[in-house]
This record gives sequence, C-alpha cells and structure tokens, in this order.
Amino acid sequence: MSHKSPPGRPKGEYRSAQREGNHTAALGIHGIGVCAAGLSDWALTRSVLLGETDCEAASLGKLDIPDLPVTERRRVNATSRLAIHAALQATAHLPTAARARVPSIFASADGDGAILASTLEALAQQPATMSPTLFHNSVFNAPAGYWTIASGANGPSITVSAGTATFAAGMIEAGVEIASGGAPVLFIAFDMTFPESLRSFGVEGEAFACALLLGPESPAPAWGRIEHWERPARRTSPSALPPALAPRFRGNAAAAALPLLAAIAARTPTAIAVPYHDGDCLELRYTP
Amino acid sequence: MIMTALPVAASTLVNACGTGWANVRRALRDDTGGLRRNDFEPALGLDTWIGRVAGLEDAALPPALAHFDCRNHRLALACLAQDNFEDAVRAACARHGKERIGVFVGTSTSGILATELAYREGKRAGDASVSGAVLSPSFYRYRHSMFAVSEFVRTRLGLAGPAMTVSTACSSSAKVFAQAARAIAAGVCDAAVVGGVDSLALSTLHGFHSLGLLSRQPCRPFDADRDGISIGEAAGFALLDPSARSAVALVGYGESCDAYHMSSPHPEGAGAKAAMRDALARAGLAPQAIDYVNLHGTASRANDEIEDQAVAAVLGTGAPAGSTKGWTGHTLGAAGATEALITVMALEDGWLPGTLNCRTVDSRMQCRIEPVSRPAVLRHAMSNSFGFGGNNCTLIFGLRG
Repeated sequence: MSHKSPPGRPKGEYRSAQREGNHTAALGIHGIGVCAAGLSDWALTRSVLLGETDCEAASLGKLDIPDLPVTERRRVNATSRLAIHAALQATAHLPTAARARVPSIFASADGDGAILASTLEALAQQPATMSPTLFHNSVFNAPAGYWTIASGANGPSITVSAGTATFAAGMIEAGVEIASGGAPVLFIAFDMTFPESLRSFGVEGEAFACALLLGPESPAPAWGRIEHWERPARRTSPSALPPALAPRFRGNAAAAALPLLAAIAARTPTAIAVPYHDGDCLELRYTP
Repeated sequence: MIMTALPVAASTLVNACGTGWANVRRALRDDTGGLRRNDFEPALGLDTWIGRVAGLEDAALPPALAHFDCRNHRLALACLAQDNFEDAVRAACARHGKERIGVFVGTSTSGILATELAYREGKRAGDASVSGAVLSPSFYRYRHSMFAVSEFVRTRLGLAGPAMTVSTACSSSAKVFAQAARAIAAGVCDAAVVGGVDSLALSTLHGFHSLGLLSRQPCRPFDADRDGISIGEAAGFALLDPSARSAVALVGYGESCDAYHMSSPHPEGAGAKAAMRDALARAGLAPQAIDYVNLHGTASRANDEIEDQAVAAVLGTGAPAGSTKGWTGHTLGAAGATEALITVMALEDGWLPGTLNCRTVDSRMQCRIEPVSRPAVLRHAMSNSFGFGGNNCTLIFGLRG
C-alpha cells in the first residue's frame, strides 16, 4: 500500500496542528450503502429520512452474495451478508480493480448473535461439538473475511469493536487510515438482531448496516464531508435517531450512523454527536 | 513513505512459559516449554496439548473491578501487574495526560468462556432461566463482549483516550501496533497502550478440533513430523511512546488480506508476501537487513510450508527464522503481541530464539529455520502474524542508536 501524506499536509504537522486546537483533514464521503429491513439501499433510506417514503415493514430477505464462490455463498452467515450488502452499494461506482485496492474497516459492537447462540448450544451438548462452518462464522472478522473473498480486496482490513462507542471508534480508525495513507477507505458499521435465546444480554435493536466510502476531498466527494472526527466533545447527549426509525433501531450500535445519514440526506450542515466513551460524544461536523 | 520509528517504552507479558519478563526470558533461554497435556478442566475430553497459564482458576480481581471477573481479565491483570508496567503507564499519563493515551487491545474471543460455561451449566441443569439470570446485560458487557477487554485495561490503567478492541483472529494483536502507530502519527493520541489478551475457550478448542488442526503432542513448528497446533493463552502489553528513550522501536508494519479462503492461507502465500513487503517498504529496509524472523509458524502442515515459501520469496533463504509457538502454543488473538515482544527481547538481548520441539527441520523448507537458540548480533527483526479470514500483519522492530 502506498503511504503518502495527504496533499499539502506533511505528516509531521498533524500533532502540532491539533495541539493548537485545529483539527485534521476533512473526510470526503464518496459512497454510501445501507442495509436493513425496509431500508434496502441508500436511495430508499434517503427517501425515508427525507420523509418522502414510509419505511415499509419488511424482512431482510436472503441477501444473497453472488460474488462469493459456491461454498462460501452457501455458508456465509447473516451478519456478513448484511455488512457486505452495504459495502457493495458504497463501492458500486468503482471499477472492480479499484474496489479491490480499498482498505476496509469493519466495526461491530456485538458481532453475530445467532452464530453465538448456535455456538453456545453446540458447546453445551455432551460431548461438545463445533462444525467447521460454525467455527468460521464465529470469528469476529468473518464479515471482513467474506468481503475480501467476494471483492478480491487484498489490502489491509481491520475489524474493531468498542461497545456503544463502536461507530465513533470505526470513524476514528477510518480518519486515521486516510490521514496515514492518503487514499480512500471503506468503513462498514454493522450490528445484528440478537436471538431470543440471548435476550437476557440486553442487546437491542434490529439488524442495521451502513457503509461509507471515505477519502480525501479530491476528487470532490459526491455526498459532502465530515470534519472534526478525531476527538470527543464534552457533550453528553448523542444526536437523536430519526423518530420514524428510532423504535426499530435504538440499541443497535451501528445505527448511531442514522443522524449522520439524515443530515446527508437533507444536505444540511449539521453537528452530529455520536456516542463515545465515558458518557462523552464524538462530534462529527457534516457539510454538504 | 517511511514511518517514524516508534519507541517501545515498556512491555510485559504472561504466557504458558511464565508470568513476567524474568520468567519468560528464563524459559526461552533454558528451552523450557510451557505446553502440557490438556488439563483445562472445562474441555478435558480433547486429546491435545495446551499452553495454559497456571493459577488463573484461583485468581481474583480487586473488589472495584469485580464486575469484570472472567478468565480473560484475570489473565490481563496478571500481565499488567508485572514488569513495572503500570508505573510506566502512570509516568506516561503524567507526561501526556490520560486523555492523550490510546488503548488498542487485540483478542479473538474476549471473555466468551464465561458465557460458554454459564450457558452450559444452565442447560445441563435443565433450567433455561438459570443461564438467563446469570447472563445479564452487565455480565455480557463487562465479562464477555468484544470491547470488555479494552474497557478493562482502560479502567485498570485509568486512561481516557481513544480505545477499541481489534479482532481479526490471529493477527489481532499484531495489528494494534500498526493501528497505534497511525493514530499517534495522525495526532488522535500522543502515546498508546497496545496488547493482546486471549484465554482458553471451548469455542476455539473445539473449533480447531473440528478443523482437524489440533496436535496430540506438543506442537513442533517446521519439523518434518509436525502434525498440528497447540492452543495456548497469553497476554502481552506494550507502551508505545514517541517521547520515550528505549532500546527498541517499531520501525515498520505491513498489512494485507489473502482474499482467498476463511481458514486456509493463499496457496502461494500472496497475502503473507504483501504484508512483509509492505512492512519492509514502510521501514525503508532492504530484505537483507532482516536479521531474524519470528515466524507465525503454527505447526500446521500446510501453513508452515506456505509461510516458508513466502518468507523465502521476500527475504531470500538466508535470514535466520524460527517459531516460538513450541514454548507458548498458538495464543490466537494474543499471538501477535506475544511474538512481537519476544522479537523485541531478541533485539534487546542479542539472543535468537530457536524453534522448540523442532527436532528435524522439514527438508522441504527453504528458509534458514533455526532449531536451537543462540546469541546473535541483531539489528532488525520481523514478526509475522496471519489469521482467519486471510488477515495478515507483519511488524518490524529495530535496535535504536
């Protein structure tokens, strides 16, 4: 991977610039993908967020991934399907070879609850059993693994988790990678519905995935820019989820993306607060 | 672009060889491996060897941290308590401020064992509500969840900077070194505590068993008769601080994906080669400059062979190389940090670890596999970590001055 400084900002300047209270380079939004029941892509989600369309109650459907080889296509778990569908949308405008060069950042608070439930059930049997497919799918970076196989992306890929701060953590990692590499990265936040058998864990919210193709501001980003992604603001209440969607997605860490998506849909400059650590928020300043 | 060298200001580790640097160093010097026939009580049925850290069963967390109690956090705490590591972090806090120190911890399964055991107990008692009562939201958040290990470390050390868990299977805690280097360069933190913690769990032991990868003897990396891996548990932490004086620094990192298969490496080691080349480029080093390679070397038949080919293709056949998994077992999400720190030790001590349990090097190996430990003048050393999902990371450390 090339390791260039972003244009006009030699690497050494970042720390001193920040100490003076300035902030690092803005992140251009070059592509967006969304995957949730009734929010099957960004165009529909945008229309729902603008109040032009009601969010129809729907199931997620099978979310087939034809780009996977036959065996993986059959075995791939639901969480990976969800994340990959969002990722495919956000990168749909890229030629295949260009897409394969984009590093990926996957972020999930809780991973695949259904696979966890199956794993716990299998391990509680006497004797305990695990199948190879269950084991492959239980790995926290399974969505990233399947994504790289489906897309041929052979650059760096990281999977991060930070509880309720997971969306903020993924955004920071994306910003840092862009600052470091000077090239676009694909940031996918995703969390799945937890099954009934693990209800006591209190993991709430319906399945939701959002993918953002983020990068330097040149070429001009199609969907605006995010500034001030790198440090928390002492602000204790995160931006509210859009009222029409809040009842379904509240509790899903990846759905912290929704206020940002609403601002992008409206093309309105907005300061969005997403949950961070210690009751703080990360404040993302969006400009169209 | 060549990266700015990032000093390893302090470090500590715990694994089956022992607790803290003095014990681990001695075990490496004396060829005393930490593997034992499986005596991990929850998984006694498996005929394999493991790298269990002794005493975790009876360890306790201080009352203020009791809500975090699980095997993974007992292991993390046992590690943090060694080698004056907490003092070093306190000094860094005084220098930079607690908000300016990041926490990046790699793990593959965090505290899942706690849930596995509680669920199994509830199931066997025939009472689903038993597990329901135990497996509360706070149990899940503080003992089991992926972020729990980072939250535990952050809480214990009193840090308030950016924090996240990295979970990319067996490359997890190598990638945190790369992640911290980038975060510090970009200015989101001034220093970072990085590390890896992974403890024995039913899902990983039975999972690797289902793939037919567990050896019935202590693992024998690169040996002609190697027949699989030994799972271990470990923790390792480093304080990375650009303002520190230290003997050794991180000088390069490289990351890649195979984009090939979920658990089998690319047959030509394409991803492994790309990670090593990326790391060399970022370090500004020629392949000949690498004096020692701590190989991923799990002792699986296929993986060792492919890694050997990849290393030979990138570095040539002259660089001394070995795997230290015969001492520790394969510690999964903690392997990256464990082996990065052993690589740092090799540079500091001028001591090249051999490959424990490798009695007859597989004749097909092209690399210069070192079965026996020996003193050596080392200036730059590489550590490889390759994980499920085809996720690869190579780190290069260098002696400073």
